[in-house]
Amino acid sequence: MSGKIRLNTDWLCDCGGCHVAIVDLHEKILNVLESIEILHCPVMTDVKDYPEAEIGILTGSIRTEHDKHAAEEMRKKCKTIIAFGTCAVYGGLHGAGLAHSREEIMDHVFKKSPTTTTDTIPTVEVTELAKTVTPIDEVIDVDLYLPGCPPHAHFIFESLKTLIENREPRVTQDSVCARCNRQMIKGDAKELKNSLDGVPDEKFCFLSQGYMCLGSATLDRCLAPCPNHGVACTGCAGPTMQILTEPYRDIRTEVSDRMARLTAIDADTIKTYMEKTAKTQYAYAMATKMIGNKPTFLIKKWIADVEAG
Amino acid sequence: MGKVLNIQPVSRIEGHARISVHLNDAGNVDDAYMSLMSLRGFEKFIEGRPAEEVPRIVNRICGICPWMHHTSSNKAVDGCFDVTPTPTGHKLRELLQVMAHINDKILHFFFLAAPDFVLGPDADYSVRNVIGVVKAAPELATQVVKMRQLGQMMIDRFAGKAIHPIAAVVGGFSKPLPEAERQAMLKDTQTLLDFGLFTLDFAKNNVFNKYLDVIGELGVIKTGFLGTVDRADGSFRIYDGKQRLMKPDGTYVDFEGDDYLDYLGEHVEPWGYGKMPYAKSWDEGFSLDLENPKGIYRANTLARINVCDQMATPKAQEALEEFRSAFGRPAQATLLYHYARLIELIYACERTLELLNWEGITDTDVRAKVEPKAGRGVGIVEAPRGTLIHDYTTDENGCIEKANLIVGTTHNIGPMNMSVKQAASALIKDGNYDQGILNKVEMAVRAYDP
Ligand code: SF4
Ligand code: SF4
Ligand code: SF4
Repeated sequence: MSGKIRLNTDWLCDCGGCHVAIVDLHEKILNVLESIEILHCPVMTDVKDYPEAEIGILTGSIRTEHDKHAAEEMRKKCKTIIAFGTCAVYGGLHGAGLAHSREEIMDHVFKKSPTTTTDTIPTVEVTELAKTVTPIDEVIDVDLYLPGCPPHAHFIFESLKTLIENREPRVTQDSVCARCNRQMIKGDAKELKNSLDGVPDEKFCFLSQGYMCLGSATLDRCLAPCPNHGVACTGCAGPTMQILTEPYRDIRTEVSDRMARLTAIDADTIKTYMEKTAKTQYAYAMATKMIGNKPTFLIKKWIADVEAG
Repeated sequence: MGKVLNIQPVSRIEGHARISVHLNDAGNVDDAYMSLMSLRGFEKFIEGRPAEEVPRIVNRICGICPWMHHTSSNKAVDGCFDVTPTPTGHKLRELLQVMAHINDKILHFFFLAAPDFVLGPDADYSVRNVIGVVKAAPELATQVVKMRQLGQMMIDRFAGKAIHPIAAVVGGFSKPLPEAERQAMLKDTQTLLDFGLFTLDFAKNNVFNKYLDVIGELGVIKTGFLGTVDRADGSFRIYDGKQRLMKPDGTYVDFEGDDYLDYLGEHVEPWGYGKMPYAKSWDEGFSLDLENPKGIYRANTLARINVCDQMATPKAQEALEEFRSAFGRPAQATLLYHYARLIELIYACERTLELLNWEGITDTDVRAKVEPKAGRGVGIVEAPRGTLIHDYTTDENGCIEKANLIVGTTHNIGPMNMSVKQAASALIKDGNYDQGILNKVEMAVRAYDP
């Protein structure tokens, strides 16, 4: 086995999709196996401990002590750690746990559900939930980030090859719009539409037609499958670098400005709408401090405003 | 003092699980648990969101069978908004869901389960994996990878994303199927069907026959079964139908998904995040006692194969007849889940062909008009891992007011615990155990594909 690059992977709090995406490199996985030796990888191998390895792929976010421990072990044993997938990088969709306390969630699942006939909250043989969901770089140092839910095979293969060939990754920092076939034009929509209003014209940008689309605020790690197949982007790969790095730029400011320019709708109307639906607009990235610490990001207030009616 | 053996993570399964086996002073099994380690709480965080967005969100419950969450969630929202999808929209959803089943069976059988059979359950753990299979049987492995690719690409091309799909929408589907793509899919599905038939043969000769004794012993328990069947003739169905709940003696009741609360309950034990559904309507309570279980039924492949009156497609029906003449109805042996899975693979390929040949499949009327409103909807489909239930109530703005979810895997948590205990008690005696034995305990779980 000598000469091969050793790889550990592990999944923390996640859906498993990122691991399936690795398997779904398909024929390329056979190429990859020529240069990489897979050690710890719960979907594929029975290796239960963490051997020394050059590369460590972590998917999922931190929700329990067990997750934290696994991330720390991986950090100790792997030279390069990749935060793989939106959950690992930004907390992901279940980062929405942020909007609800763990007590609320446990109570709902184990007591209030209409099918549940017991009145028990699990306490033994389980590792306790942490207060909130955290992206992994709040617990360990991360060397490379590959967001995407899951990332497209194109980017996975590129990042693995980068490491095998020991070179800089060739990836762009474009937004989803760069790969989208729809054309941005100045449209005459006067009101925001919801995705159920009529059938959007497939030639033109959703924004131009008055439909919400987060493509322009989202980093392309997916090759834009959604807008190219009839539905708008909901930002599952997380925000673009511009949004992350500039304190006063934010998903809603970015999208509302652009949409206002492409329609006859006023930017403030759009911004207010996005605040009201913040749980949806910030669905994938609300758990990251990069968004959470922005002076412009007030999700708890927005949710409270909605609940207050 | 006794001792606790922990197997964590249970590997080559699709979820996060741990097995702990408690041994007494003499080294025999006192108790054994399989607990699911993760809890995310989707029921809670979809509250307040516009219902039409939810079918894209709940996919993230499971990246292995996101299509099933996608379709059942769409069906539930259809119910809330009181809309009937156009016939083509309905069929396109089914088409994609059935195709996703094909790919899942290939993934499970070859990537997760096969190492135990191709290399043997006692093979060294460092090679007992799909990479070991690649080395031991390179041609087969290349073939498998190609077939999985064919299946996933078919979905990717037409529906944009195979993992975390977006193309089914409330009221139907987001885009029509172009004729050229239909032709290409027909060709690819024929190839997959041939491969499916080859796989079933391969497994019959090299796995099921060889391991008949293990099949008859490992993790065997006696339970009832839950699945979905055709409303008219009781045939096997996975996208739409009525529910059938069968007792261990083979008698059953049929009910409509909307009424599931009258039939199913969920029991929580302090030792795991998984809730354990049971048959409330049997009025016997809940118990995991191996000799005398109460309320326990199983879901997933073996269950569906047991509850259906027949398979609705010819080759799958042939396979079912052979299966039934060998193992009876209902068949109880846990490792038969693998066999049943391959019968389903044949069905899924045949059903895909049937749907592609349906005259309206390329029709452009794919999406019915939808108005958000208050209501309730229960969407049920068969996920690879069992009956999947999404139950939503919406407010007058069409936002989710409350939600209840029963995810496929959870039906089998109770039974998996029983199988683990059965397997561990039978295999671990007087403190003697080794790698191979512990792997066999894991195999009892792996068959359920949690
Ligand atoms: S990033 Fe998406 S695909 Fe990956 S584990 Fe998280 S939810 Fe699943
Ligand atoms: S905003 Fe959406 S529809 Fe418009 S170009 Fe960008 S990705 Fe395409
Ligand atoms: S939602 Fe946006 S980021 Fe996610 S896959 Fe679709 S286009 Fe890509």
